[in-house]
Amino acid sequence: MRSAASVITALLLALALAACSGGGGRAPCPAGLRCLEAGNAGEPLTLDPSKSQNVWEGNIQYDLFVGLTQWNARGEVVPGMATSWEVSPDGLIWTFHLRDAQWSDDVPVTAGDFVFALQRLENPATASPTAYLFYPIAGAEAVNEGKAALATIGARALDPHTLQLTLTHPAPYLPLLLVHTSALPLPAHVIQRWGDAWLDPAHIVSNGPYVLKSWQIGQRVLLARNPRFWDNGSVCFDQISYYPTADAVTGERLVQSGEYDLNYTFSLPRTRYLRQHMPAYVHGVPYLAIWYLSMNQRVAKLQDKRVRLALSLGIDREFLADKLMGHAPQALYSFTPPGLLDYTPAAAPAWSHWPFARRQAAARALLRQAGYGPEHPLQLEFKYGETAKISATALQADWRAIGVDASLAPEETQILYADLNAGNFEIAWDGWAMDYDDPMTFLELLATQTGSQNHSHYSSPRYDALLSQSDQQRDLHKRAQILAQAEAVALDDVAVAPIITDAARYLVNPDITGWVDNPTNWHLKRYLCRKGPPPEVR
Amino acid sequence: MLIFIARRIAFAIPTLLIVITLSFFLMRLAPGSPFQNGRRLTPEIERNIMAKYGMNRPLAAQYLGYLGGVAHGDLGPSLKYQDKSVSDIIGQSFLKSAMLGLTALVLAIAIGGTCGIAAALHQNGRADYIATLITTLGICIPTFVTAPLLVLIFAGWLGWLPTAGWGGPRNLVLPVLVLALPQIAIITRLIRAGMIEVLRSNFIRTARAKGLSQRRILLRHALPAAVLPLVSYLGPACASLLTGSLVVEQIFALPGLGKFFVTSALQRDYTIVMGTVILYSALILVLNLVSDLIYAVLDPRVRLT
Amino acid sequence: MSGAAPDLAFTGDPETASQPTGRSLWQDARRRLFRNRAAVASLALLVIAAIVGPWLSPFAYDAMHKDQIWSGPLAYGHLLGTDALGRDLLARLLLGLRVSLTVGVVATAVSLVIGITYGATAGYFGGRIDEVMMRIVDILYSLPFIFFVILLMVTFGKNFILLFVAIGAVEWLTMARIVRGQTISLKQKDFIEAARAAGLTSGAIIRRHIAPNLLGPVVVYVTLTIPGVILAESFLSFLGLGVQEPMTSLGTLISEGARDMALAPWLLFFPGIVMALTLMAFNFIGDGLRDAIDPKDR
Repeated sequence: MRSAASVITALLLALALAACSGGGGRAPCPAGLRCLEAGNAGEPLTLDPSKSQNVWEGNIQYDLFVGLTQWNARGEVVPGMATSWEVSPDGLIWTFHLRDAQWSDDVPVTAGDFVFALQRLENPATASPTAYLFYPIAGAEAVNEGKAALATIGARALDPHTLQLTLTHPAPYLPLLLVHTSALPLPAHVIQRWGDAWLDPAHIVSNGPYVLKSWQIGQRVLLARNPRFWDNGSVCFDQISYYPTADAVTGERLVQSGEYDLNYTFSLPRTRYLRQHMPAYVHGVPYLAIWYLSMNQRVAKLQDKRVRLALSLGIDREFLADKLMGHAPQALYSFTPPGLLDYTPAAAPAWSHWPFARRQAAARALLRQAGYGPEHPLQLEFKYGETAKISATALQADWRAIGVDASLAPEETQILYADLNAGNFEIAWDGWAMDYDDPMTFLELLATQTGSQNHSHYSSPRYDALLSQSDQQRDLHKRAQILAQAEAVALDDVAVAPIITDAARYLVNPDITGWVDNPTNWHLKRYLCRKGPPPEVR
Repeated sequence: MLIFIARRIAFAIPTLLIVITLSFFLMRLAPGSPFQNGRRLTPEIERNIMAKYGMNRPLAAQYLGYLGGVAHGDLGPSLKYQDKSVSDIIGQSFLKSAMLGLTALVLAIAIGGTCGIAAALHQNGRADYIATLITTLGICIPTFVTAPLLVLIFAGWLGWLPTAGWGGPRNLVLPVLVLALPQIAIITRLIRAGMIEVLRSNFIRTARAKGLSQRRILLRHALPAAVLPLVSYLGPACASLLTGSLVVEQIFALPGLGKFFVTSALQRDYTIVMGTVILYSALILVLNLVSDLIYAVLDPRVRLT
Repeated sequence: MSGAAPDLAFTGDPETASQPTGRSLWQDARRRLFRNRAAVASLALLVIAAIVGPWLSPFAYDAMHKDQIWSGPLAYGHLLGTDALGRDLLARLLLGLRVSLTVGVVATAVSLVIGITYGATAGYFGGRIDEVMMRIVDILYSLPFIFFVILLMVTFGKNFILLFVAIGAVEWLTMARIVRGQTISLKQKDFIEAARAAGLTSGAIIRRHIAPNLLGPVVVYVTLTIPGVILAESFLSFLGLGVQEPMTSLGTLISEGARDMALAPWLLFFPGIVMALTLMAFNFIGDGLRDAIDPKDR
């Protein structure tokens, strides 16, 4: 027993020693430098702009590269590598004028690097998951399908400082699309030399405010200031560390203890708690992303519009958005989230102003009309992924209140989306986040030609006609009106049941300055700084 | 002895082959694709991706291709972490998990061994009673409870230790502790049981009668016999500790293999899962061999054939 | 004891399960008996609570109270408080206990059936058959079993019944080894020889003579497997593969409670106590039975 006690004492001593050897657990920062410690949700699956598709990868890529257009601190799209551009009268030919800039190895950034990036993106051998985004560029789709040579893509370098893009149809939102990570310029001279190994920190060069210094998988991605960046003078932090924080609660604690300066993201049902306990840290505003209910219109009972409307009426959106998720998201009655640039979503249905009890009464009446009642309740299977667990449970209870018997069928993300694409479901919790700041990124999902991605199999000739009409419209304002008409058609048909917006979620130490909440959820680190005098060089 | 080792190694190769085959086909039969994650995947894009990873070939051809790769030590590229090879990921993360697991194991053997001996010597005394209670508790509390609890106390309230992350040795104190706790409990029970059994046996009685000192009896005679059950427990326990724990790695944000393995299985990253399964099986085979050898050294009655 | 090992292989191992604890002294036996009586009594209480509790609870386990979310104990008549959706914790705890005990018992029964059949067959026939059958067990042992369970759960959906099968299928290996060892030693006993001489078929001998005599060690193993299974289910719950909403289990309650413990400590505290009580009761009873049944002690 005595020896047991002594071992335990020794362990406690070791614990105490470890504890005394320094304060919190913040990673050491080289003297004289400003370091930003950032929690970043997931481990990057790739840092290659042509292959990546996740926000946490974009967070890093935007520190490394600057595209033709870029995000400003308020989440607006502003000129980046392109200082100006002209559009031909038919809206099909765009000419971009590039600024003088260098890669971090002093090689100039040229229009050829942008052409190279687009060709690489559409090259079938790259197998890019985001290649479809640039199908509006002439020839891109054929190249991606392997039917045409790379050089046939409508992207040409007229001279090192002039890039010309040719489109298949007028797309006045092109500058908003070009800010996407998959349109970032790539250092052709490095990739041609190293191939897929170009991302190795020993090889990679970048044209943005930071360069990649090291990447230890599962542990840390380390970025250092790029002194050759044209706007280097305005950049505050000298070094950025990105850490994968797969466990959201761990992320919260790391920010709270000051070990991290910020963390992307936090768990929605914890918003309420966070607002109470670390209110100065919480940044949760509606995001350009929506959660909605897909209702498979190839299933007989869901072909009845009254049934779809009843299901939609019966959902207590305000409870989800406000009570359960602490006002970070917003109740949603349209298929586009509020906050899209130059677009006003279609008007919410009249019933959205009714008190919830009245909506429930209307839902019960509709179900009765459709032939359902207490002896013969509507029975449905409700599929959803792990992240929607609490919301799905709440929806089930809401529907029970109007006499709908929904059985919960949780599925893994992989299987859920396979089922959704195959039309193998009745109703399902579905979601979509913007690819670019334009309503089309959402409305496209309900078009007939979208095929299996139109999970509800909604099909309306009028809706499709309005969408193709908008494609030919060069005036952004008129185009927005056409799109809003289309959206109204889909809402009137109850194509889907919108539920809530997602929330742009960050925890940020109040000492960090330059943070502006915005619905795009892009917060480029080059705009951030820390309160207090700059560190002295010893 | 050498023949024994040779026979075991000869057995290991077909075992590994069966393990690879079984897990390869099980993994492929599971529904869901590694490339399906909610983004719009047009048929042509999906085709491009399948072609890139050779997954448009017949399954048998893929299997033979994979076997050929493994024979040359090539575990292929990761399907999810596109910039990394499986050997890279497993190599980096296994080292970290192994370091963590080994530290926890050493700690657990030291504490558990001491507590077990103490409990056996004072059988039914207060020490024994406390040890039994604590060890039963240790087995009953899942690590996903102890981990956040210890973080809350030592990092949150006291501020003594970092919350999470892989940095200096101070970062490892809490994860090691969480990993070690259930092991301490199990080892204490094993040693206590083994010791009680041995202390009643004839040869210890003989040793006592010969007037040997208590310390000498304990260390030279009783202990080697009492650790036998522990030795056979440690083989598999060691393998699973070395390959990491999802719970601990997730809660402490550590770059270990356990997390990669489970998330990869959930996301169908076939190659990472296969690589980890092979590593785990090989470890089990080797560690079981080692534990059998130790067993034979400690117990003169066992003869290896 | 199984289940306490880390995640990759949550099976225990045969040696520890059948390890004798040593001959009990008289007062030791008395004390153990008392402790076991306490364990048996608390287990009986828990089982009764699990069976009748959900019917007696004033709230339904899946009834949401939208204006009472995250209420502490005693608020709005919720004895143990409510969760994120305003559901009564006591009602959910009673249901969770019922589900966990069911999973524990049924999954153990599954492992029992497979394990006894397999082990007794291998042990009885011996020779080549035994060698091949045990090689298969060895190979299965060298697979990380969480891999098996994940694949089962994703292939056949997150189905309640499947949970039993999945965990049971993981646990039977150890059972098979124990049973085989016992069968081999039983086989040489005189009464088996006599039965064989009397012309009984192998099947009848296994069924009538071997299986009943295996009871002792098997019962001990079962009482130690049930808590292991409950723990294994809780680990699956942590992964999101366990029992699904609106149903719940002790493991699910605890893993959610651990996440929200700073926000609503009661969600961890009460389920944690019930879980610890359940597992400790099983462990004490198992240890006690082992001391009582161990053949060396007879």
